[in-house]
Amino acid sequence: MSALIESILGRRLVVVTGKGGTGKSTLSAALALTAARQGKRTLVCEVAARERVSELFGKPPSGPKIHELLPNLSSVQVRPREAMREYALMTLKYETLYKIAFENPAARYFLAAAPSLSEIVMLGKVWWHAAHDLDRGKPRWDVVILDAPATGHGLTFLTVPEVFLGLVDEGPLARDMRGMQSMLADPERCAICIATLPEEMPANEAIELDQALRKHGFPKGPLFLNACFDSRFSPAEVAAVTRGGPLLLAAGEAADNHESRAQLTTHYEKVLRGAVPREVVKVPFLFDRGGFGLAAVEKVAQAIFAAA
Amino acid sequence: MKLLELLRGRAVVCCVGSGGVGKTTTAAAIGLQAAAEGKRVLVMTIDPARRLANSLGLKELGNLETRIDPKLVPKGELWAMMLDLKRSWDDLVKGQARSVEQAERILKNRIYESLSTAMAGSLEYIAMEKVYEVHASGRYDLVVLDTPPTTNAMDFLHAADRILDVLDNSAFKILFGPMMKAGKFGLKLFAAPSGIVLRTLARFTGAAFLRELSDFLMAFEGLFDGFKERAGKVRALLKSKAVAFVLVTSPNPLTIQEALFFHRALKDDGIATAAVVVNRVQRDPKRQGGPDNVAALREALTLAQIKDQDGLAERLCQTLTEQTTLADVDRREVARLRRELAGVPLFQVPRLRKDVHDLAGLWQIDSFLASATGGE
Repeated sequence: MSALIESILGRRLVVVTGKGGTGKSTLSAALALTAARQGKRTLVCEVAARERVSELFGKPPSGPKIHELLPNLSSVQVRPREAMREYALMTLKYETLYKIAFENPAARYFLAAAPSLSEIVMLGKVWWHAAHDLDRGKPRWDVVILDAPATGHGLTFLTVPEVFLGLVDEGPLARDMRGMQSMLADPERCAICIATLPEEMPANEAIELDQALRKHGFPKGPLFLNACFDSRFSPAEVAAVTRGGPLLLAAGEAADNHESRAQLTTHYEKVLRGAVPREVVKVPFLFDRGGFGLAAVEKVAQAIFAAA
Repeated sequence: MKLLELLRGRAVVCCVGSGGVGKTTTAAAIGLQAAAEGKRVLVMTIDPARRLANSLGLKELGNLETRIDPKLVPKGELWAMMLDLKRSWDDLVKGQARSVEQAERILKNRIYESLSTAMAGSLEYIAMEKVYEVHASGRYDLVVLDTPPTTNAMDFLHAADRILDVLDNSAFKILFGPMMKAGKFGLKLFAAPSGIVLRTLARFTGAAFLRELSDFLMAFEGLFDGFKERAGKVRALLKSKAVAFVLVTSPNPLTIQEALFFHRALKDDGIATAAVVVNRVQRDPKRQGGPDNVAALREALTLAQIKDQDGLAERLCQTLTEQTTLADVDRREVARLRRELAGVPLFQVPRLRKDVHDLAGLWQIDSFLASATGGE
């Protein structure tokens, strides 16, 4: 395992960001599995409307309550409504007060106009698990892994404290936002990883995301280049087989397809290594007929473990 | 039937689907086809793949309508525009505000800033608003919109309602009305009859946040009706026969799910999906026939006088198996889509060897958009 991977799994909060479809959930699951196997009590937080991590481990959705998926490995779905309630109750202490303020229809409308309030409470919940969730005086979790929303939104999500503190600097939310901000900026306690694919749009987005993350001073985790094809045939072999007559038409096309995707991998790996000053961890493309499950997570975990 | 024939008579085509499924490419291919028929076409895009944008001559944001080199377009006119969402919002506010001061007050508000860039539905809404504006101008026979990558189909169709809910400050007036009348807005806010609600909220968010938020809503005072009227027109256009929705997807189960979700959302609103385009479908190399096991491949190599070095036959066999697996998965997903979208013409574009980033590539796609497979 690379020193960086070893190091980030020793931090309290690991965030996996990236465009939709780049395999963030599978990577989050694989990182969680790796951490859990090292004996770390690991919690995966999902913010998407549809849970994927529990499904990858073959378990029913965890929902807004924490569920154990494997020994040392639990997951929870962070939903805005429940997070708001939990958070407000923590601050207000009394259910009655919560009802007066948050279940008042006029207040609900008013809060709906408050941009990013739902992101604030969702991030707040993740941060609470990473920083303040105690069990008999000790942290309940060694590492919290956040499967962040897709890019753009992923960055919006992480910069919520910054934006909020630009508006407001007093009150309990502001205090907590400062706590979140300091954790999100602390390379001892946090790392932000990027997931991408060897394709034009995802690669460009990863480059932009990396720049934005660095501009905001977020501690650098690795860049995961997912779904990589390794070259398997020499150009001479492809040429010979494609010209090998009718019997080799299928084989020639397959070899040519494979190599064209391997070339894309090489090309975008080079582009990304040139533009993104991060450790690049390549994860192979997985051929899976029955949909992704534990077997896929295992393979990704192996690739992460093998990263030098 | 050709995709373009299905879209005949429509003035607006919206390409919808998740991010990264080739919406821009599909939108550009449709635009190119229509222009080739002699139409004046505008392709509006939001965040296109850069090389495609460059090859179309689109270099920057800023809502500039740019004509694609006429030498590259056989008959009509092809125009393209990269939509700048923040700027479109600003223009809308300026157009609606009753005075320069009011516009300035809104544009400078920090909550407005996040509303115009980050709030769910705001990108979708402003994109449709811009389509409405360009369509109403009558400058084009056809406007093709490459929509923002939506994570939630509802955002797109109900974006207007959501934005209007926020700007409708009747709820705000219930909470703050008495103070606004008295003209004593500020710290006294918390002494009002509705004060307990506000005081409790403030214990959670801090009073400053509530003040900033109420400033924002107050800045919109009087603009609501204008926004509402405009949003009503946008919605009427969306629901009219002038607009066609084309679902764009890849065979990836996640994006298919999103496409289906979109289709249902359209249906719930009484809108029929005009067509579905599935990009990047893996073709099964085995459709070509020929040997597919190691021994037979070895024999075929010998026949073709190719040396079976370094396990070439094994490597070929493994590659064939892998790609057949991919093709099977894609086939299964396309079949599922076809079942669920019975009656909607479906077009498949195979995974091409390279990303499409020029007009030649777009013409290549056109041949696949020439015939729907099933569904009709």
